[in-house]
Formats: sequence, C-alpha cells, structure tokens
Amino acid sequence: MKSAHKKAVLGKTIVYLILIIIALLMLIPFVWMLSASIKTDREVFIMDPFVLIPKDPRWSNYTNIWKKIPFGKFVENTVFLTLVVTFLQLLTSSFAAYAFAKLDFKGRNKLFLAYIATIAMPWQVYMVPQFLMMRSMGLNDKLLAIICLQAFSAFGVFMMKQFYTDIPDELCEAARIDGMSEYRIYFKIMLPLSKPALSTLTIFTFVATWNDYLGPLIYLRSQSKKTIQLGLKMFISQYSSDYGLIMAGSVLSLIPVLAVFLMLQKYFVEGVASTGLKG
Amino acid sequence: MKKRIIAVLMCLCMLAAMAGCGGKSGGSGKGVTLKWAIWDESSTQYWSDIKKAYEESHKNVTVEMVDLGSTDYMTVLATELSGSGSDFDVVTIKDVPGYATLVQKNAIIALDDYIKKDKVDLAKFAGATDQVLVNGKLYELPFRNDFWVIFYNKDIFDRAGVPYPTNDMTWEEYDALARKVTNTTFGKQVYGTHYHTWRSTVQLCAMLDGKHTILDGNYDFVKPFYEMILKQEKDGVCRKYADLKTEGLHYSAAFSGGDVAMMNQGSWFISTLITNIKKGDYDAKLCGNWGIVKYPHAKGVEAGSTLGTITGLSVTTASKNKDAAWDFVNWVSGAEGAAVMASSGNFPACMTEDVKNAIAGIDGFPTDKQSKEALDVSNLYLEVPYGDHVSEINSVLDSYHGSIMTGELSIDEGIKKMNDEVGKILGK
Amino acid sequence: MAKPHLSRNLKRNLVAYSFIAPNFIGFCVFTLLPIVFAFVLAFCKWDGSNPIEFMGFKNFTRLFGDTFFKAALKNTILYCLGTVPLTMVASLGLAIVLNQKVIGRGVFRTLSFFPYVASLVAVTAVWKMLFHPTKGPINSILVNVFGHDPQLLPQWFSGSLVLVSMILFSVWKFMGYYMVIYLAGLQGISSELYEAASLDGAGTWNKFRYITWPQLSSTTFFVVVMLTINCFKIYDIAVMLAGGGSGELTESSTVLVFYIYQKAFINWDLGYSSAVAMVLFVMVLTVTVIQFYGQARKERTDR
Repeated sequence: MKSAHKKAVLGKTIVYLILIIIALLMLIPFVWMLSASIKTDREVFIMDPFVLIPKDPRWSNYTNIWKKIPFGKFVENTVFLTLVVTFLQLLTSSFAAYAFAKLDFKGRNKLFLAYIATIAMPWQVYMVPQFLMMRSMGLNDKLLAIICLQAFSAFGVFMMKQFYTDIPDELCEAARIDGMSEYRIYFKIMLPLSKPALSTLTIFTFVATWNDYLGPLIYLRSQSKKTIQLGLKMFISQYSSDYGLIMAGSVLSLIPVLAVFLMLQKYFVEGVASTGLKG
Repeated sequence: MKKRIIAVLMCLCMLAAMAGCGGKSGGSGKGVTLKWAIWDESSTQYWSDIKKAYEESHKNVTVEMVDLGSTDYMTVLATELSGSGSDFDVVTIKDVPGYATLVQKNAIIALDDYIKKDKVDLAKFAGATDQVLVNGKLYELPFRNDFWVIFYNKDIFDRAGVPYPTNDMTWEEYDALARKVTNTTFGKQVYGTHYHTWRSTVQLCAMLDGKHTILDGNYDFVKPFYEMILKQEKDGVCRKYADLKTEGLHYSAAFSGGDVAMMNQGSWFISTLITNIKKGDYDAKLCGNWGIVKYPHAKGVEAGSTLGTITGLSVTTASKNKDAAWDFVNWVSGAEGAAVMASSGNFPACMTEDVKNAIAGIDGFPTDKQSKEALDVSNLYLEVPYGDHVSEINSVLDSYHGSIMTGELSIDEGIKKMNDEVGKILGK
Repeated sequence: MAKPHLSRNLKRNLVAYSFIAPNFIGFCVFTLLPIVFAFVLAFCKWDGSNPIEFMGFKNFTRLFGDTFFKAALKNTILYCLGTVPLTMVASLGLAIVLNQKVIGRGVFRTLSFFPYVASLVAVTAVWKMLFHPTKGPINSILVNVFGHDPQLLPQWFSGSLVLVSMILFSVWKFMGYYMVIYLAGLQGISSELYEAASLDGAGTWNKFRYITWPQLSSTTFFVVVMLTINCFKIYDIAVMLAGGGSGELTESSTVLVFYIYQKAFINWDLGYSSAVAMVLFVMVLTVTVIQFYGQARKERTDR
C-alpha cells in the first residue's frame, strides 16, 4: 500500500514537472515579446547579456504606435472584419452543414467532395484569378472583399457537418413527425445543441481573420481600410525597421484573441469533442 | 414563412457585408486626379513634397497617393496591374526586376513618343536610362538615383588611431583598413566593416570594372569577393551573415549602434542618418560623427565607379489620363522634381552641380571635403540592368547567395550552381 | 400517385438547396471558380495580363528538370514526415497529461494554446533568438554544458539543420491546437472502461494501449488528415525562420508553397506555378484517401 502511494506521488511529481517545463516553453516567447516591446530596435536583439527589463524602458512604444500610424483605425477595421466574417461564417456554414448532414438530396456527396477538396488547395494558387474576378466585381479596396473571401470557407462547413452527423438522426425524425419544418428543426434543435461546435468555429475563424496578412495586403490599399497586421508591417520600412514598435503592437493585438479564447475555452473543449471525431 | 426566414437571413448577410464597404471613394470633382502608387508614405518625406509642389504649379491636377508598403511593393503592384481594370495612372518603379515584370505584362506604356514630342533630353540621366531599354524602348523615367558609397564612423577610427578611409582605395587597401580598425576583445567589439544580407553587398563589388553584369550567366568573377568577405567573417572583421539573417538586424541599426567602422550602403542612407540623428532616434554619441567615401575599386581601375539603383515613374496602360500622367512623370524626373528631391537630402536622377552642392550643404551632412567629393560619380552601373529573364535570374542568384554565405555550399559549388541554373534560364 | 411523389422529392431537394445556398453561392463564386480556373491554368502560359496560351503538358514536363522544384518537393515531404508524427505524439501526450486532475489545468491548457494564437512574426523572432548560432542560449548550453566546440556550433537556420528547426518549431506551435482536439476525444472515452481495466489489474501502459489508443482512433485519423494537409501547405514558417535578406530560401529550406508563391508573384509564371500546385494537390489528396481507406478497413476489422 505504501509503495503504491509512493508511486502515485512520484507520478504526480513527474506530471507537474512536465507541465511546468511545457508551460515555461510556451511562456518564454510571451515574456520575450513583452520585454521586447519596451526596448529600442537595437536592444531587441542584444543577447549577451540579455536584459529582461531594459535600464531605460521605452514605454513610449505603446503610445507611439497610436501616433505613428492610424492604429485606432486599423483596430476598428480589424474588429469590424473579424466580427462580420465570424458571424457570417457561423451562420452560413452551420446552415449548409445541416443540409449535408441531415438531409438527403441530389448531388450531396459530389458537392461535399468539392468542399473538402478545396481545403487541400493552397490559396496562393488561385489568388490571382480570384483577385481579377473580385476587381471586376468592383470589390477592390473594399472591406467587403475580405468578407467575401473569408466568410464562405470550406473548413467551417466540414467541421460543422462532422458535428451534426453525430447528433442522432432520431431527434430530427421525431421532430419531423411532429410536423416541424426543416428550418424549425435547425433553429430549435440543432442550433441550441451546437453551441460547443459554434464556439470552436468562432475561435478558429476569429484567430484566422484577426491574424490574416496576405488577404488584406492584396485587397486593401487605402490607409483607411488597412488592418492591424498590415499596420504592424509598416514599422518595417524600406530604410529602417522598428521591432520594439512591432512587438508592442503584437502584444496589444494579442489581447482580444486571448480574451475570446478565455471566454470560449470551456465550450471549446466540448466543442471539438463533439465535432464528429467519432468517425 | 420558410421563405421569409431565408429572405430575412439573406438580407442580414447582405446588410452585414455591405456595411463594410461604406465610405465612397472621393469623387474627382474638378480637373484631373492622378492616382499614384508609392511606398512608406509616413517615413519618406519626398512623396508628399512632390505632390505638394506639383499641385501648386498645376492647379487643375490632384495627385492621390496610394501607399502599398515597401516590403511587398512590387508584388502588390504587379497584382494590382494584372488584367486591365486598374485605376492607377502613375506607378513608382522600385527595382529593375519589377520593371521587367510590368513591361512584360504590358502594364506600363513606352514613353518614347512623349519623350520625342516634349524633346526630353535623356542625357541628363547620365546613361542610366540606356540600361533599362526594352527592345530600344523606354518605359520609365528615373527621378531618383542612388549609388553605393562607403559610410564610416569617424569616432571609431579616431579612437583606434587609424587614418580615415579615402576616396581612392583599392579593395586590398579597404580590406587591410577594415582589419586594422577591428577589435575582437569581448565587450569592446568593433567590426571593421559590415555587409547587409542583400546579395548586392557582396556581388556588386565585382561588377565595378564594367566588364560584367549580373545577367552574364557566368559568375566566376564574383569569387574573390566571396572569399574576401567570408574570410573577414571568420576573422571577426564583420558580423556573420548567418547571425544577421537570424536576427534580421537592419543595417541602420548596425551602423547607428556605434560598433561598425565602415559599411557599404546606398546613398539613400545619407538622408536616413541625417534625419534620425537630428530627431534623436539614433544616438549621436554613437554614430553622429560619420562620413562617406567613394566605393573602393579594383587595382588598375579608376576610382569613382560605383553601382546605382534608379527609382522611376511609369504611366500605366490602363490610365485614362495618360497625357496628364506623362506630364507628372516628366515634371518629377526633370529639374523641378530634382530640386524637391534634393531639398530633403535625396539624390535625384538628374544630377547637377547645384544639386550636389545642395545636398552637401544640408545641415547634418558631413563637413569634410572628402565626403562632398564622394558624391562625384565617374561611372555608374545599374545594380541590375534590364534583361528578359531578370526576375528569374535574380531569384536564383539570391538563393545561392544565401547558400554560400551560410556555408551550405562552398564558394565554388555555389558559383557553379549559379552558372548552371542561370544557364538553364538563359538557354530556354 | 406519381405526381405528388415527384413534387415531394423536388420540394425536399429545394429545401436542402436553400440550406446550402447562402454558403454555397459565396463558396462557389469566391473559391471554387478561381480554383477551377487555376486547374486550367496548369496547362497554359499566363502572366496575368497578356492573352492565355495553351501549353499542353509542357509545364509538367518542365518540372522534371527543375532543381528548385525537386528540392522543394523533397523538403516538403521530409518536413511532413517529421512534423506529422511528432506533433501527433506531442499533442496526444499533452492531452493525456492535461486530462488528469491537476491543479491549474485550465491555465495550463490556455498556455499550451498560446503559441497557436500568437503572431508568427513575434514567435519566430523569439525562436531565432533562442537558436541564434552564436548568441543563442541553446548553443551556449551546448558549449558550456556539453563542451561542444565553439567553432563548430550547429547552424539551426541553414544547411541540413534547417528542416529540423522548422519541424521543432511547428511541433511547438501546433501542439496546443491538436491537443485540444485530442482532449476532446479523451472526454468521449467512457470511464467504466478504465475502471474495469483497473479491476483486472492493468497498468498505465496497458490501459493506454488497450483502451485509450484504440478508442482514439477516429480522433487520430482526423488529426493526421488535418496535420498532413496543413504541413503540405507550410510556407510562412519556412520564410520567417530560414528566409535570407530578400526573403529567399535556399535549396535546403525551400518548400512547395514558397516555390508556388515565387513563380506566381515574383516571376509571374502563373501557369507553371499552377502546375506545381497540382503536384501538391494530388499528393495531399492521395495521402488523405489512403488514410481514409486505412481507417475504414481498420474499423471493419475492429468490429
């Protein structure tokens, strides 16, 4: 009995040790980012000796990013884009996923296959044809372009479909017998059940849109339309670079993402659990 | 009921999406509006100077600048000019590979008819325009012309008791000087020289004799410079390429840190240095006492040959105001534009004695005689002249430059690879 | 009798289409259409402006003589072979540890997810400092603790080691993401199974081998498919970690999507770039299909 207890204690100790090492591994970059964000461009890369908090911390990095570039406007654009894209993505993909999972119709498998296949295609390949098409539709330099680009992704449909497949068909059948229309079944039964999956998709879409660089780079020209990620790149100019400012900006832009994650994380784990991993 | 729900949903989607495109693009109420593609508007003074000066003398024209950022400028611009739907009138050409791309894409027009009509004398560009002719036609007019010089930190030389570099140095003398001023003692490190991670900083040294260009297809002639620089790296005379690449250390940060004695860099760095020292962004105690000298030269070649990079303006094929756009291009590249450029310490493409004096007279420019003389260029070779496959060749050379500098390939292997791969492109 | 049946069928189809329509119209116009166009482009020569020329299979035959394409293909495959199993093992291990009742579990979970959400510019900068060839702490440990020759320190971002760095980095960055998926899979395993095993006197290892692992097989399938797709698409990590002064990659670090990007946007050879993409596409599809059938067969034999 005693040795078993000893073993358990040893096991726990090892687990905590691993956890602490991993936590440190994950934390180092964040600490480094915080430290770099109060340094000058040169100090950022001085390693020997490495100084965590510089003698003369440049807190002004945090105020300068608002002055040097219209950071406020960029935040506004990014928030707007992220919210609209996430909302549309959730709505349209869960809607479509319901049909793919629970309705039988002509061409279902072929359509679904088309969705899956596009996930494997790197965006760089069809970026130019896409750009030409979008421009001919008058979407160049409009935030709407990014919305169209991001809101109808195949990934969302795939994920939501996996989730709905796992919800027992009997639920829907019973509702149908009660005379419920498919739309009501979707709103009254499926949506409430899919809260976890929706939160998962929310965080995925949120992070992807928030951190997107190439899309906005190609489509958004005017200063008044740019996003945070584009803004951060502005500190690397042709003749100079300012990593201190970039880091300060990165730290600031990380806050909303972490906040969303913390808010949704309790659903999040459940969400992925239910997202169709039961094959 | 069902339909209504769908209709409502669809409307919601549309509404949410439409809200995004708010803010109509400003109507061009009176006169002509020229849309002009530029980069780094906030950190580069002269764009807005030019706009202001041009609009003042041309009351009916409005110049609208669009900042595409410098890091991906040519990529974004070429994407924008794909097809025929672009609304840019004038675009700035950042480098020759990008210029070649735009010409091959028919995105910009040949200016020869305009040049003939307005009797523009190309002689003022001192031969630079000849190196970007495409089948005898010219598609851009340069308005800015930067050339490579050696920047040096006088304080470091004074402290080490070593004489300053001069306007007439051979590469051997330069190497010896760099070694002399180097100090490898830990904590008191001084690097004799510094090379930024660009391929230009190494390969271009080999092109100053005017016998070779980057489009040759045979790169055996760059070997001595890879040897010199890799040896310097090994001996601690300059920072290691692999370190610089890893750190992403910018050359401005390296020089302004006060531990670099000499650095080869383009003349654009002059105005950067002056402004940042004045603003206090660079510590004047570390790098405030600087000077420039001409590029070193090979034995038996006259001093004063250097390499240049032109920045030009082109009129787009899609422009609906080509005449107005041409007038703008011509104005900026001409004497009036040159004056505006010089006023902020930048080098216009049409260099005159006055312009040189103006730049040397700027407050913050080194006061010694040598530095002013260093602005005299006898032969200017373009870093990259125009060629059919210039952008592909550039990609190949960049890649193997990295291989050699990081030691993945030996110098001979790397050069052989360059010869082979560029040969494949040229043989196509 | 026939008529109402037909109309009911039609009605059912229409209802289904009405569900799909909002997403499908957008997806079709903004993604599918350009992708089909890119497929066609693989057989053409186009620079984005001039008229498109049909080339037949020329773009594909050109691939065989292309040094950079071959290097990129090799590196991408090696990278996948390294990253997919390592990330899988790491994320599974992490998930199992974080599934135990430990203090501050939520905090640890959030921390593990941090590398995935943090901006790539920032985290690559940190990694490059840690593995800095001369000043990085990793290399100074090698010198001071293991007595490594300071002249011959490993160059983590070039040569043969660069792929190793890329793999390590990716494992670190994506571990948390797949951990969440595994964690979810673990919630689905009934605790009765473990209790029964305990009564039979099964140890930790046997519990893992005979309960956890088989129960997680569908999760593992999903993880491996997503991992493979994402690994084949690696691009920005390579550029950020190994890119030189002008962002270029050498033969030892170049990857397929970088090459696709370079051919498309630097050299404006869109047809050729599409051809390279087709190779990538076919590979990913093949791997996915093989995994799919492997999984299906396994499920059949399990029953």
